[in-house]
Amino acid sequence: MNSRKNKDCRKQKKNTPLQDKPFGRREFLKGAVKAAALGSAAMVSGCGTGLLGSSEEDSLRWKEYFKKHYRLMTQEEKDETVRRLERLARLRRGVDIQMSSKGPIERILFGYAFNLTRCEGFMECVAACVKENNLDRKSNTQYIRIFEMEHGEMSPASGNSKYFHEVPVEDHFYMGVQCFHCEKAPCVKACPTQATYREPDGIVVVDYDWCIGCRYCIAACPYYGRRFNWNEPYVPVNEITKKQHYLGNRMRTKGQMEKCTFCVQRTREGRLPACVEACPTGARVFGNLLDPKSEIRYVLKNKKVFRFKEELGTDAKYWYFID
Amino acid sequence: MKISAFKTGRFWILFLLLLIFSWGYAFSEKDSVVEIYKNATAPFDDEKSVDSILLIPDNTVPVETKYQGGFFWTETRKDKIERFKCSECHNNKDVQIARAAEIAHGDIILDHGGQDKPLSCYTCHKKDDRNFLVTEEGSKIDMDHSYQMCGQCHFRQKKDWVGGAHGKRVSYWAGTRVVKTCTSCHDPHSPLFEKRWPKTYSPPLVN
Repeated sequence: MNSRKNKDCRKQKKNTPLQDKPFGRREFLKGAVKAAALGSAAMVSGCGTGLLGSSEEDSLRWKEYFKKHYRLMTQEEKDETVRRLERLARLRRGVDIQMSSKGPIERILFGYAFNLTRCEGFMECVAACVKENNLDRKSNTQYIRIFEMEHGEMSPASGNSKYFHEVPVEDHFYMGVQCFHCEKAPCVKACPTQATYREPDGIVVVDYDWCIGCRYCIAACPYYGRRFNWNEPYVPVNEITKKQHYLGNRMRTKGQMEKCTFCVQRTREGRLPACVEACPTGARVFGNLLDPKSEIRYVLKNKKVFRFKEELGTDAKYWYFID
Repeated sequence: MKISAFKTGRFWILFLLLLIFSWGYAFSEKDSVVEIYKNATAPFDDEKSVDSILLIPDNTVPVETKYQGGFFWTETRKDKIERFKCSECHNNKDVQIARAAEIAHGDIILDHGGQDKPLSCYTCHKKDDRNFLVTEEGSKIDMDHSYQMCGQCHFRQKKDWVGGAHGKRVSYWAGTRVVKTCTSCHDPHSPLFEKRWPKTYSPPLVN
């Protein structure tokens, strides 16, 4: 590694493998302070290049820091950052990923329905989601939570989401909760940097690089739909899903918020989200709300549907229905 | 004088209230998701809009029931039956091999119809033509269209399946509608899902 050559110029740090090396904004600021302190010395001795990007990786990181918010980027800038991130994944983790920056398709508004009668709590969806979205295996982050509830219960608050026994249990039903992709999403209103926002096809996404980790959105979300990276996420290299999207399952770092994106990397290409595809009982229905012939529209028209905490006016695009 | 002033005052209050309510109504309902999708009645052509859509995969057959005015496809069954065609053994002669039924079909556990009205083999399979299923009415049904057989009793589920509220699509939400057939998920001989351990578990809530 080239960057290691100039290491003597900086303060000696513990030698950690590159993959685990955190490099968030805080580290950057720390580095900047150090750079200012060492600035004059470096000028004299002429070895400040390590910090300012002598190696390819450093220069890519440097460029990544000064990119715009995803919504303000032109398509060229998006392509550039995607290429940089692909290269960085190669350099830092040794994996060849294919990242996409595919935009929303016109006249599509994604909607989701969950059949409370059918779900039997096998949790195949949770496992598929973790795998697909490169979720942190260390802290066991999961976007979906399945609540085991007794018949007649109305709120998952009284349900058990930590069950681990043979399912289904008699006189119980299972209710899956994840991000509901609200049209009037409280998390979007709460975000001070507009890092989280609603895409035109209805998916509420996070621009991970603009997230400052303030976690206001966690406090704002009434559904427990958002997850925070308290530690550097760890995914075994051979388990990384290589087909990624800038707004979807690309690797996050410590201090960034993440959430279900309806598997944006899949759904914008016409495929079903991982949870829908994995569901062994067919309890999950996904489709385009603006297509009168879609299955989700059939469910909304012909089944008894309700939305969770509808009275809050979040206008979620996630319905529950019963047979 | 006093009364009329009171009356006009009351009128104005009512008028104002009406104004506030209608204003609130006008701004709250129009942009809700429910209104948006209810107003979206124009047909949507996913094959034009979405780049990569599923071509009709092999091992599918067009379903004979129509789905919201159009055709849809379902997975085949015959190629998944180990010993199809049945007539290779079950021809017009009796099977002579000892313990043949046990060897060939011993793995089948018949648990269909509950304790009140248990089904027998001959509810669906008839002696004169084993290659086909036979309905209660007596019409032959191809194994690939077994949903018609199930739909005799489970007509509600079949209606939901045709519409899209029961069962699931294969891989793609866009493009040609290809769905799993009844027997893709349910064992026709014991259709209830067995109890089993969940695939994973959830840690306690943090954040």
